[in-house]
Amino acid sequence: MTQTWLIVGIVSGFISLGAALAIYFWVVRQDPGSERARQVAKWISDGAASYLKRLYTVLAMVATVLAFVIAIVFSFNLTQLGSGSVDIAPSHGITMAVAFVFGALCSAIAGYMGMTVAVKANVRSAVAVSDTLNKGFRVAFYAGSVMGLAMVGMAVIGMSIIFMITGNPETVLGFSFGASTLALLAKAGGGIYTKTADIAADLVGKVEVGIPEDDPRNPAVVADNVGDNVGDVAGMGADIFDSYVASTVAAMLLGAAMAGPDTLKYTIFPLVLCTLGIFASLIGIQFVRVGKNGKPGAALNFGTIFTCVLFAAMVIVLVLTGGYDMSVLWSTLIGLTTGVVIGFTTEFFTSDEYKPVQETARVSGSGAAITIITGFSYGLLSIVPSIVGIVIATLVSYFISDASGVISGVYGIGISAVGMLAVSGMIVSADAYGPIVDNARGIAEMAGMDHEVIERADVLDSAGNTAKAITKGFSISAAALTVLALFAAYATVIEARGLTINISLRSPMVIAGVLLGAMTPPVFSALTMLSVTKGAFGMIEEIRRQFKADPGILAGTSLPDYNRCVSLAADGALTSLILPAFLAVGFPLLVGFVLGPDALGGFLGGAIFTGVIFALLMANAGGLWDNAKKFIETGAFGGVGSEAHKAGVIGDTVGDPFKDTAGPSLNTLITVMSLVSSLFAPVIAAFHLF
Amino acid sequence: MTVHLYLSLIPEALIASMLSPEEFGAYYAVGSEKRSRGQAIFFEIDPKFRSKEFRIEEGIQRCIPHEDGTPKRSIYISVYRVLENIPMNAIKKLYLTTQDGRTLELEPSKRLPLDDAGLHLYREISPVTPLVVSTDGPKAFYELIVKNPTSLIKLPSICFAELRLDGLAKDPKNAEIGDLPYANVEHLRSCLVDLHTKQVMTKMVDRIPSGGIPYRTIKNGIFIGNQEKLIFFALPEEKKLVDKHYQWWRSATM
Repeated sequence: MTQTWLIVGIVSGFISLGAALAIYFWVVRQDPGSERARQVAKWISDGAASYLKRLYTVLAMVATVLAFVIAIVFSFNLTQLGSGSVDIAPSHGITMAVAFVFGALCSAIAGYMGMTVAVKANVRSAVAVSDTLNKGFRVAFYAGSVMGLAMVGMAVIGMSIIFMITGNPETVLGFSFGASTLALLAKAGGGIYTKTADIAADLVGKVEVGIPEDDPRNPAVVADNVGDNVGDVAGMGADIFDSYVASTVAAMLLGAAMAGPDTLKYTIFPLVLCTLGIFASLIGIQFVRVGKNGKPGAALNFGTIFTCVLFAAMVIVLVLTGGYDMSVLWSTLIGLTTGVVIGFTTEFFTSDEYKPVQETARVSGSGAAITIITGFSYGLLSIVPSIVGIVIATLVSYFISDASGVISGVYGIGISAVGMLAVSGMIVSADAYGPIVDNARGIAEMAGMDHEVIERADVLDSAGNTAKAITKGFSISAAALTVLALFAAYATVIEARGLTINISLRSPMVIAGVLLGAMTPPVFSALTMLSVTKGAFGMIEEIRRQFKADPGILAGTSLPDYNRCVSLAADGALTSLILPAFLAVGFPLLVGFVLGPDALGGFLGGAIFTGVIFALLMANAGGLWDNAKKFIETGAFGGVGSEAHKAGVIGDTVGDPFKDTAGPSLNTLITVMSLVSSLFAPVIAAFHLF
Repeated sequence: MTVHLYLSLIPEALIASMLSPEEFGAYYAVGSEKRSRGQAIFFEIDPKFRSKEFRIEEGIQRCIPHEDGTPKRSIYISVYRVLENIPMNAIKKLYLTTQDGRTLELEPSKRLPLDDAGLHLYREISPVTPLVVSTDGPKAFYELIVKNPTSLIKLPSICFAELRLDGLAKDPKNAEIGDLPYANVEHLRSCLVDLHTKQVMTKMVDRIPSGGIPYRTIKNGIFIGNQEKLIFFALPEEKKLVDKHYQWWRSATM
């Protein structure tokens, strides 16, 4: 039966990939519009392709070095390290290295597919929306689903194949580490890229020169649109891929650590959940439709809820007919429900229909300082529902599972994380829709399409912003549960090597680890945001230079050099990744090898706590400031040009790197740190200074 | 190349230029080096207009192309007390240029807008620039400033715009501010309330309003008049601006 489920998993992965390819070709067959629209789309597509090429080149170099290190380290029988005689098993090292490279490759392929269709769908969605809102929506959403389906398909194929060949979840951990390394580079790099371009384009375009958003006279306008794709399509896709795989692997490791006759059955149960999630997403995507006068946001929300309900029904049938203990059902459902609730409570703090955004907009009339204080305070408050949700999911799934006497409590936590992410196919589809319609609006503007087209594209864009906020809440919370499971997995791997791990706050080593871990997410946030300001400063100089060198640009008689800004943004993003990447991969190892496994356990705990809090704060405060500004622009509190609007613009600019650079990268950071710790736990268990 | 005569209101100046109104607007707003930005409001003057107050011929003679053949952008003929010396029949079209150089052309209207009930807010554009509230409609306000022989405050000519007050026109104390972007709204409210409670017909709200004139706040159009007559240039309704002049409207509503 185990083999059958693995084969079903691989088949479902290929069905998902096949559906993604079919949708891709459907999108490509849509009308790409006028020559001008195609030209604008080509600038964006070329810029995105050039960035991806450079990103993947860097990744290939990083992956080669890390694969080499992994191959060497895991070629030793680590249980014997320090005993005087050590067996050498190169095949294990090579397997781990191959799994690592395969993980990075699968994530890269999913990201590449998502990006490729996104830069084709943007112009087609703009053209389709000139016909009807529904047509534009369909093109954008189906294009987004290519990313969602490709991502879950590649992940399930990769994990199932590796487990089928090796039968060892620790090897799947290598796959997960590969995916996470790419995710970290893609998410942080994409986040730095997109905000560098966005802030520079706005500060010179709107503030200095006074030209509107998406105006083709702005030399940074193409880089800004490229940024939407590299940050929000490739970056967010890689991020969810990473959480999706990591949560599954963590649960598999915890399942494998359980004793009993059903160990294998529960080891692959997370993969079975992923398989059901693929089918639920494939069906759910078909039900996302906008009626004649319907709302795109409601259609996306309906799709998410419908997919979750369908998935829950499938799991109930599976557990009741498959001989699983009921506790895995409750753990899955509590994870799924918590994910949905957290996602939608995020909307409370970031939607202009509720008090936090309206209040922040209202007080903006008194100046930018109070806008910042109010938005920041609501951002801090916004962590409450998510943290409470995580606490409930953790405790309920732990105690229900522990009481079952069949599965362990920590395995239940792992399963609830998988339950939360199993419908990622649908979640990512709705999320990737956002940057596509954002680009569609930009292209409509730059190509001089009719204002009605732009107004309809605005409606689509607005729904995309809400979907994006929900996904962020979902992904951060899922990452929190995932790293809790990985934390348990880390302890399990250490204890499997005969060491007792004691993470007590009475131990100075653990306290040292907790403090160092707690320090890491804020430092990571600072580094990525400083990269944005540094990059934006350089690009501002370039935009000014172009305006000065060719007055025809502002007169509209000559074209700016878009490529120069695209290139600057890419250079800035990629060169800024060195220190953050070290923090994620090198720092936990340094702590582990110097201070020992207990300190590393404390380190992970500290990093998880501040990482989750910072991620929620930054994502929600940034989204709140953005929507407070947009709320004022609808005509509230004086509208455009008022003192409230000026303060709102400042709040939005401050929030930009919060919500699109540092915030969403933090969940990847804590996942990577947890994975690298779990992966190298056997080595750390054998070698540590204290 | 044709030489145009423009009456600029910000600042008040008579200018000869070889640029068309759209080109002149873009040049005037962002400069030849495109290093500056700023709103521009100007009228095109009858090219045959001549006056002993201005050395127009001399200005036109100096308005010749540059050595590389590019048109001469501007020759300032006069920069002081210009408006009062331009007869209304020499004024042709009005051009409203946004801060990034998009220009909208307005024709003179055949009739003045109807005076509606409620209070009014005027932004004087030239020759002085205060923000004023009044119980008078535009025509009465113009007559009060330009034609009232008993008034202590009297101008030989004036150009002004009536700005939107929306609900404040009837209920200055309690009405919602909505999308009106005016600074120091509480002061504006108290000035409007004073018109109800005190024996005054006009009250100055702001001596030096900052930030130009947000075009989206213009209620109905721009007025220009002197002792001889008052001309009104109607601003099209928002829907028409969005439909026919989208680029200008988008830039004007930034």
